[in-house]
Amino acid sequence: MGNLHKCFLLFLLVAVVAACQPVRPYQRVYLNDHEMQHGQHGAQSFEESVQTYREGATGGGGSKTSGGCGCN
Amino acid sequence: MAAEVKPAADADATSQDVVMKKRYLAIGLLAASMTTFGQRNDSAYVKRKISTTDIQALFSYYTQDGEHSAVTGGRGTEDLQVYSTSLELDHQKDSIRSFHMMTGLDIISSASTDNIDFEMSSASKTDFRAYLKAGIGRKLPGSGFTAGINGSFSFESDYWSLGPGAHISHSNSDQTREWTLAAQVYFDDLRWFDHGKHEELIYPAEMRHKEWFDAYRRTSYNLSFSLYQVINRRMSVGFYPGVAYQSGLLSTPFHRVYFIDETGRVENLPRSRFKVPVRIQLNTFIGSRWILRTYYRYYWDDFGITAHTLSAESPIKLSRIVTLIPFVRVYRQTAADHFKPYGLHEVDQEYYTSDYDLSQLESYKTGLGIRYAPHSGKGNTIFKEAEIRYAFYKRSDDLTANMISLFLNWEK
Repeated sequence: MGNLHKCFLLFLLVAVVAACQPVRPYQRVYLNDHEMQHGQHGAQSFEESVQTYREGATGGGGSKTSGGCGCN
Repeated sequence: MAAEVKPAADADATSQDVVMKKRYLAIGLLAASMTTFGQRNDSAYVKRKISTTDIQALFSYYTQDGEHSAVTGGRGTEDLQVYSTSLELDHQKDSIRSFHMMTGLDIISSASTDNIDFEMSSASKTDFRAYLKAGIGRKLPGSGFTAGINGSFSFESDYWSLGPGAHISHSNSDQTREWTLAAQVYFDDLRWFDHGKHEELIYPAEMRHKEWFDAYRRTSYNLSFSLYQVINRRMSVGFYPGVAYQSGLLSTPFHRVYFIDETGRVENLPRSRFKVPVRIQLNTFIGSRWILRTYYRYYWDDFGITAHTLSAESPIKLSRIVTLIPFVRVYRQTAADHFKPYGLHEVDQEYYTSDYDLSQLESYKTGLGIRYAPHSGKGNTIFKEAEIRYAFYKRSDDLTANMISLFLNWEK
């Protein structure tokens, strides 16, 4: 069941990427908005570091996965 | 009625007027071309590279409490406060070269750390953590590639770390797809640092009759990949898989573990750990003022921990410069194979921990942020934004935490 779950997620990702539309530079008003940027925004980065100390799972999405601190 | 026909004399006069006007125009243009001149070498114009520096300051306060301190074997106060400040600089020297630096200082007041020596009547022990990270990046013209290297340094009284790293990224010509591959290594030393030198591993006060570990170093290798893809004018998706491998001393020398026969030992964990996090993020504009930022993360490691994270942030633009950001995050993990609560470990176990960070747990975090982004200023300095953000965090083992952060951003 776990493998089926992973295959479904991979298929979903491929389908989403394949459905992409071209976007010209003058059409990027929404995409260039600050709130649309991926990764951690400003004040959010401190919360991310707290979670690496208080939970067993770390990493994914720009933050380091392990090392450099007495965290998990 | 028939159209009027001009006499022949009037037609000749009109055509002569047009010819004269053309002659005057030609003479005027000729005169102007003889008096204009191109750029001279001795002009006052000075060629300058346009560089920008982005400055970010973050001030945070964190407070928590719980009743499962790992320092006292999974039972005891987890009261802790952290005052954190950090400063980050991003300098774009020109269209090709960039420089990045981040430094910070955390002041940590912890009742549980004070219990290493069981000085129950003393004030909470105060510790600090300082760190510095710097890196450079360079675009390779015409290729869409950017490469960079970085180094980091971090120290607190019981932890030193040095970390070199490198990354390479590529963006397609219309910037609708970007991928990044990053590698980071951390060389850590867990010995207590005092009086300007590394001393030794610090064990709980009553357990210092023997050397529990012959190793004091920890090495961590991190490899992460990110893929950013524009879906349409309002939506983008990101895919962030990674792998990490740690080796060396992975347990914390001053954590206690108690067994069913009421004896106690220092926490002992395997000497290697392999981790795989995978995150998928989707950001989309709904309407003209409402954004939805969501991500799901799956995590697996060979300690036996499997975790799922689901997060949603919903920025709402109240005006051009003010944004309200409510958020919620839920998390669930299974317990590490070697975890047991206080006093339940079997005597013949090879590895054991009572650190509730590695237990089976659920947590949720919720809060609100307010962002003010006027992008105004005088001269070369622009005040870009200020954000204040509050979060409440609660774990299923009744650990609760509150954190508040103030973020300021300028551009020069």
